Amino acid sequence: MNDRVQSPGERVTRTNPLAHVFDELSRFCRSRSLFILHYCTGCGAIELPPAMTSRFDMERLGIQPMVTPRQADILLVTGYVSVKTLKRILLTYEQMAAPKYVIGICSCTVNGGMYWQSYATAKVLKAYLPVDLYIAGCMPRPEAVITGMRALMDDIAAGRAESWKRYYTHYDHYLGNQQALFGENWQTPTDVLAEARHYGLLGERSEGEHTALLERHQQPLEPLTMRLRAPAGGEEKA
Amino acid sequence: MSAFDLLLGLAAVGVAYAWVFGRHARCGWIITLVYAIQFGVLLSMGGLAYSGRTPVAASFGFQFLGQSLHWRLDAVGWFFALITLGVALLASGFMAGEWGRTWRARGGSLRGLHLALALNVFAMLVLLASGDLLSLFIGWELVSWASYLLMALDGVRARDAALRYLTYALAGAMAILAGIVLLWVEGGDLAFDAVARLLPGLPDGRLWLLVLLFASGFGIKMGLLPFHLWQPKAYALTPGPGAAFLGAISSRMGLFALLVVVIRLFGLDRLAGLSVPFGLFSARDLLAWVGVLTIVLPTFTALRQQDARRLLAWHGVGQTGYMLLGVAVGSDLASAGGLMHVFNHASYQALLFLVVAGILHRTGTTDLNRLGGLVARMPLSFFLMLVGIIGLAGLPPMNGFVSKWMIYRALIDAGSPLLFIGAVIGTLGTILSVYKLLHNCFLGQLRLEHQDIEELRWTQLVPMLLLAGVVFVTGWFPGLVLDWVGAAQAALGLPVLAHTLGGVARAHGGLDMIWLVGVLLGGFGVGALVFLLGGRARRVHPLDNYAGGHFLDSHTRYQYSDDFYAGLMHRIGPWYRGLFQRGEEALVAWVDLLSLAMQGLYRQARPALWLVAALVVSLSWVLGAA
Amino acid sequence: MRLGFELVMMPLLAFVIGLLMVLLLRRIGARLQRRVGPPFLQPLYDVVKLYAKRTQVSHGLIHEIGIVMAVGGYVATETLLPVPGMNGLADKGGVITLAYMMMVPSLGLALGVGQCANPNGSIGIARALTAMLAYDIPFMLVIFGAAWVYGTTDLSEIIALQQHGAWGVERMPLLALAGLMTLPALMGKQPFEIYVAPAEIATGPMVEMGGKFLGGLFVMQAFQLYTLGVLYATLFLGGGENWPLFLVKIFAVVSIPMTIAWLYPRYRTEDMLSAMWRWPLLTALLGIAMVMI
Repeated sequence: MNDRVQSPGERVTRTNPLAHVFDELSRFCRSRSLFILHYCTGCGAIELPPAMTSRFDMERLGIQPMVTPRQADILLVTGYVSVKTLKRILLTYEQMAAPKYVIGICSCTVNGGMYWQSYATAKVLKAYLPVDLYIAGCMPRPEAVITGMRALMDDIAAGRAESWKRYYTHYDHYLGNQQALFGENWQTPTDVLAEARHYGLLGERSEGEHTALLERHQQPLEPLTMRLRAPAGGEEKA
Repeated sequence: MSAFDLLLGLAAVGVAYAWVFGRHARCGWIITLVYAIQFGVLLSMGGLAYSGRTPVAASFGFQFLGQSLHWRLDAVGWFFALITLGVALLASGFMAGEWGRTWRARGGSLRGLHLALALNVFAMLVLLASGDLLSLFIGWELVSWASYLLMALDGVRARDAALRYLTYALAGAMAILAGIVLLWVEGGDLAFDAVARLLPGLPDGRLWLLVLLFASGFGIKMGLLPFHLWQPKAYALTPGPGAAFLGAISSRMGLFALLVVVIRLFGLDRLAGLSVPFGLFSARDLLAWVGVLTIVLPTFTALRQQDARRLLAWHGVGQTGYMLLGVAVGSDLASAGGLMHVFNHASYQALLFLVVAGILHRTGTTDLNRLGGLVARMPLSFFLMLVGIIGLAGLPPMNGFVSKWMIYRALIDAGSPLLFIGAVIGTLGTILSVYKLLHNCFLGQLRLEHQDIEELRWTQLVPMLLLAGVVFVTGWFPGLVLDWVGAAQAALGLPVLAHTLGGVARAHGGLDMIWLVGVLLGGFGVGALVFLLGGRARRVHPLDNYAGGHFLDSHTRYQYSDDFYAGLMHRIGPWYRGLFQRGEEALVAWVDLLSLAMQGLYRQARPALWLVAALVVSLSWVLGAA
Repeated sequence: MRLGFELVMMPLLAFVIGLLMVLLLRRIGARLQRRVGPPFLQPLYDVVKLYAKRTQVSHGLIHEIGIVMAVGGYVATETLLPVPGMNGLADKGGVITLAYMMMVPSLGLALGVGQCANPNGSIGIARALTAMLAYDIPFMLVIFGAAWVYGTTDLSEIIALQQHGAWGVERMPLLALAGLMTLPALMGKQPFEIYVAPAEIATGPMVEMGGKFLGGLFVMQAFQLYTLGVLYATLFLGGGENWPLFLVKIFAVVSIPMTIAWLYPRYRTEDMLSAMWRWPLLTALLGIAMVMI
């Protein structure tokens, strides 16, 4: 177990001789099959329909829109992110299944853009969750979106798009920024640390003062186990 | 002393024991043991169903009005008795342990329940062994009153429902009695074979009258349309194991009597010959169409129920239609399907009623809008209900599929598209309704107040597991039941189905469940392998759930249960018109009016005079008839 | 031995052909919208990617069993469908059994979705079951008519009868038409995909499905398309004389509903019921009247 608890450059000893073939195959398939969840926060969303429909046709690259975070691989944040919206973005991101990728579209996600002075806008998206790719512009044209997507596909196929692991290994950092913005009572119904533990991605910087703060008030988030008798009766059966 | 004497004696012992020692703590187990011994005795008569065709006679009998009353158990009676005793055994086992203790602690009369159940078993055995029309009538009355006792146990609403049943049952008994009197007037002999000789010679009009009298009389007990209104409420309000017994077999007594009298004595060919305008519609078609209507309408009423017990009770009415339909079509395949459905229905219906009784026991409600998510706390009950609903819906691999398949197949052979589609609509409606039942009880969100409930005790689980085993095994090897069904068919004079262990071997499309269930299980195995190919799954908290970005917390009610089939109801909702309900109300109003008038008449003046007049009229009628 | 080989090969072929059918449908959809459409192996990429996901979110054992049943039920169903050179278990069940076996995977899916405790999923299942009630009435009538005309429910016998005589579509054109009219609903394609309704109930049954759970549903859809295509070709188009002809027939069958799918906006549940219970049902009844009288 312990050798799996490492930082992003983790090297896991694989006994299966075909493991690299499988890895290669799954990386390739991941890069050729991207389900996007467009979180249409701002004006950038308007550039996505042309990218999907007959003019540019993202489906020929294997990219298609999906509806819920469970199904999606890419979270597209398409514009300025208000504080209220950011909470939903984080929940959505945490509910997505790894490997997952975040693309920030428009300048607003990079540095707040024209909302730089707004009191209600979270200006730097990557402070709150790892962002794989920014497509800057106000707004970027569909060509730019497609180009960005292609860049991401290349990264995935080459195994470079691993920033989703940072969310687990540096959870304390991200949580700290989130708490600074939303207050110390901030929590989502997802159990990020348990997930990190389950997939062996818990690193040295996953836990810290901010996760300690979270644990102090967090509602328990254990899955509902099947059982025959209440635990007080003694014999618990999973 | 014959084996049947022993059986009846044991049933009487059960009744007496429950009467005397009903309050005793161990009473339940001892009565269960008595049922088990009876079951053993019945199985030891098993030669009856397999090969020997001679019925086992009782060594007693009576003479009454020159008629000899006697009792004997033939293959049909044996088949029904097997189900009766089996279900009684398991229901009694269910209530012997913790369920009974709790029920008594809540103020229910456990002695009454045991006694009523034992009486029911005794009465049914008497009925199932009847050897002539008079003994049939005696058994019939016993069964009617015994069911009343079982229904009236649980509070005022249950007593009201039971009284409603009794009103129906008495009307039915009158119809049957009228039929018997008619036959007596025609032939003067009520033995079955004498009646069978007499019937073919009767004119069509008289036969129609007899068919209608008997079919409606027996149909009331079966809950056939339009006499079904008493059943759902009465069964739903009967305490759990009692409801399982009633729902599984009690109303099948109507089918038994119908088989023995209308099918065996009249004969299907004679029924088919009884036709109204231009031979388009015969008495047999009438039975088949009543069967189909009984399938479709109650099933879709069940779909609208918000209470698990009522939903099941309505399905009990609906499934009866398949049995009647199968028997009325009457080919070897169809009648075997109809008879086998009696067995199958008993197994899964008893199972489902027991599971729902367990839910009521643990949560205190059967309201489908107040449950949900119980699978995490009562996983075995979930599994048992799953087996039950697959059976009830008639999907492979459970036994309900086999009997329904036979009926569909026979309807294709018979070339009756409308009957066929009626049967299919019933099945589809059942699938919709039972999924709602399972979903609203066991799936979805677990309510806060149910966080700490526990699975049922083993005393309750074992009878249910046995029933589930029967549902699955007889689905896998239907030949086991078809042996008994074949013997019953022979005893009824119906064409006997040639079958194999796996189902029906037939040119132009048979059924082999051994292979089908095998390949289905194999398929699930492959599915599991494919599933395991993927990455390791991680269980998450139920509130870690998609809600369009909304943050769920433990106080958010996040369950879809009410008006489950909203879209469907937008379309067919207006089709539910309560026609039968209003018909019944109109009838009640008329009877009310009539009785008021009579009351007024004889309160007004000189009751003695009216009495004398009535006496004179009836005397002159009796003398004139004699 | 031979049977064992068939039992392995039939689901396997069904899977491959089913994936090609998914591709075909997506390509047709793309062409109708004047797009290029996905590459040839796209359905395979999707499935492999989903199974290879690192996070696999499960809501409990029943959620997992549901997906196993959904895939496994179809694996079993495929062995009842005769294809050229292989009869499998066609003589053990017949067409009625097949129609009911096809409900087992749906039941599995319904169980899995139920355990997710997501109301969108439950609504989706309620709608899917309603849709089943809608299309199965005309569809079962079509099956009845075909079985009555051929005098058998055995699918391999039905194929033999057609190959030595007239195809079903000649003997019962109205029933074939009614079958074709119910096909889009059976496939759950537009305009009958109210149970998915992405913008309204977030893809209904699929709402909490990710990773291999969604992958299982993709596989199930591939099997479903294959089953319907083969069943229709078997009942009305003479089944398969040989593989090339057989493939042409089944791909033609599944492409027809897809070609007209985009012509209609999505029906609401109640309109879907009306749509199914009006023209397809009337056509089926007329068809039966035509062959029986």
